[in-house]
Amino acid sequence: MKDGSNDTIEEAHWASDYRMLGSVLNNEPQGLMARLEVEVPGWRSAEPGQFALLQAGSSRCFLARAVSVADEVGARVSFLIAPVGEGTRELCALNGGDMVWVVGPLGRGFDVDALVISRGRAVIVAGGAGVAPFPLLLARMARRHRALFSRPVGEGPGGPQASTLEVLVLLGFRDALQAEASTLLREVAALACESGLRCRVEVAIEDGLRGPAEKVTDLLIRHLRSGDRVAVCGPTPMAEAVWSICASKPDVRAWFSLETGMACGVGSCHGCLITLADGSDARVCKDGPVFLGEAVFGG
Amino acid sequence: MVDLSVQLGPLRLDHPVINASGTMEIFELAETFGPHVLERPPVAAYVSKTVTLKPRAGNPPPRILETAGGMINAIGLSGPGLDVFVKEDLPRLLGLPCPLIISIGGFSTGEYEVIAGRLQEALEQLVGEGWIERAGLELNISCPNVHSGCASIGSDTHETGELVKTIRKRWPGLLVVKLTPNVADIAAVGRAAVSAGADAIAAVNTYKGLVVDRVSLRPYLGNITGGLSGPAIKPLALRSVYELFDAVEAPIIGMGGIATVEDVLEFMSCGALVVAVGSAGFRDPGLAGVLAHQLAVALDTRGLTRAGLLGLAHRPV
Ligand SMILES: Cc1cc2nc3c(=O)[nH]c(=O)nc-3n(C[C@H](O)[C@H](O)[C@H](O)COP(=O)(O)OP(=O)(O)OC[C@H]3O[C@@H](n4cnc5c(N)ncnc54)[C@H](O)[C@@H]3O)c2cc1C
Ligand SMILES: Cc1cc2nc3c(=O)[nH]c(=O)nc-3n(C[C@H](O)[C@H](O)[C@H](O)COP(=O)(O)O)c2cc1C
Ligand code: FES
Repeated sequence: MKDGSNDTIEEAHWASDYRMLGSVLNNEPQGLMARLEVEVPGWRSAEPGQFALLQAGSSRCFLARAVSVADEVGARVSFLIAPVGEGTRELCALNGGDMVWVVGPLGRGFDVDALVISRGRAVIVAGGAGVAPFPLLLARMARRHRALFSRPVGEGPGGPQASTLEVLVLLGFRDALQAEASTLLREVAALACESGLRCRVEVAIEDGLRGPAEKVTDLLIRHLRSGDRVAVCGPTPMAEAVWSICASKPDVRAWFSLETGMACGVGSCHGCLITLADGSDARVCKDGPVFLGEAVFGG
Repeated sequence: MVDLSVQLGPLRLDHPVINASGTMEIFELAETFGPHVLERPPVAAYVSKTVTLKPRAGNPPPRILETAGGMINAIGLSGPGLDVFVKEDLPRLLGLPCPLIISIGGFSTGEYEVIAGRLQEALEQLVGEGWIERAGLELNISCPNVHSGCASIGSDTHETGELVKTIRKRWPGLLVVKLTPNVADIAAVGRAAVSAGADAIAAVNTYKGLVVDRVSLRPYLGNITGGLSGPAIKPLALRSVYELFDAVEAPIIGMGGIATVEDVLEFMSCGALVVAVGSAGFRDPGLAGVLAHQLAVALDTRGLTRAGLLGLAHRPV
């Protein structure tokens, strides 16, 4: 322990049961957000909608920041991060080879089966940085759909069953630059189409410079049908507006990934407590971050 | 390797690093990280979140925010109350392979008395006579986030003395008193607690503070004020431990901003027999265990023993 870097290695060794030391493989700008790809030795596979606590190895912040798992291939984990303050700016400034502390995956994610096994369509609604959890969700929906409904050629009636799952991805961004944060999600959507999902992406841009000035809620009002299953992530006012649209249609179920301030991310500090519609308390980090719309906003 | 075990009253600790009350939910950690958390806890004794007599909702949100070098919280002793603790948590906590320290908080001396009595009954029932070596009590008389009882008791030497005397009469096990630093003379309060029968002093709880919402320029926290913790308070906490070491014979559980093994050495040098990890554990739930291992290495490297380090800051070079 002669210098800082050795210190870090020592800590990593002892902390490995709880906190992992990842190394940045790649940092690629996507609009104003950064796609950070991190190799995390010891990473356990995440459910879509789960998050990790991230802290730059050389951070000047005291606490780590909650960031959704955007995608993963084995121990290579991608995060999509918007630089809104010091902690996220540090993460967005990391370069290949830099170290990052990782605790996770944490929390309860989206119910993939509820979205895939449904007579209605699956609708993904995201605003701004809320796009982050959805590449992984879409990839897992495609995988689950394939596992459930396709049979090897020659087996079963008619070989691989024609896909019945239609997925509508509705995104809202302030301007065209920010809309580039949808790059990863579009890549995953293209793959999902190849593997049999009927997947369509529509983007609303609020500034109206290159087309109609629209919000993601305008798209939702236009497209939502009864029977749809909806997964939502975005700023609170957007989420509330989305809920009122969903609640106005019969037989629509919607799940929301919520954001609150967090210190521990694991249920220890009680800092992320919210009051649910029935008056009971829930911790966003442990009982969520994904909740059913009724539970949060009421019936 | 250096022997790190410590005797804290009747409790035997494998090493001197524990958690600060309210900053580690061990069963939640086990759900997230696996059963090894309960089989080999990162702490040498587990300190519960402060238990109150009645269920408490706690304070309105927002309840936490990071600040320069630390954080502020206004959780406000939220929790399901004594009945649920005794029925659901206590039996499981007694299954841990390390001793248990139960932190309790009340709004009157009578409430502390009722809680201590119920806990003693439950411990006798669950463990039998040997419970005194398994579990101790910590009187939280220092929470800055509730508006009566608790901290107001801890800011008065007379009230502190009376409360400790009352509990001492009926509680035969380890009795720790956790002090608030939001007083003019913490050593005087510590002295009052120890002469009334406290076995050990825990210091410090959080410093009462306030953060302003940068948009509205109004108080940020739902409770208006909160308690400051983390490295930002370390020098203040060290001074408290230093003064308490001079003032009382009883062992001190030192805390306030501990995040590295250097911090542990500093607290022990100022007079802490045992140290507690609080908010720094939020970024690494395994930190207490890491620090215990690093302490052994650091003592070895410096050719020090734990006993030699204790109170070193009070001795001439
Ligand atoms: C479960 C979950 C998943 C998330 N996933 C992602 C993700 O995938 N990608 C992503 O980019 N983000 C995500 N976030 C959000 C991310 O955690 C926050 O943006 C991050 O913590 C901000 O930290 P910071 O240090 O950059 O900013 P801070 O400076 O800490 O600011 C954070 C927020 O607090 C407010 N704030 C801070 N101090 C004050 C003050 N004094 N007065 C008023 N307001 C204040 C700010 O307005 C800001 O909104 C997620 C959050 C949660 C809870
Ligand atoms: C979120 C939070 C909750 C806390 N809850 C309690 C509590 O229930 N009882 C208590 O005695 N102290 C409580 N504390 C105070 C800590 O136990 C500790 O005294 C204080 O945070 C200083 O240590 P630190 O700087 O290492 O965090 C709490 C602190 C934090 C940050
Ligand atoms: S962030 Fe600590 S309990 Fe949820």
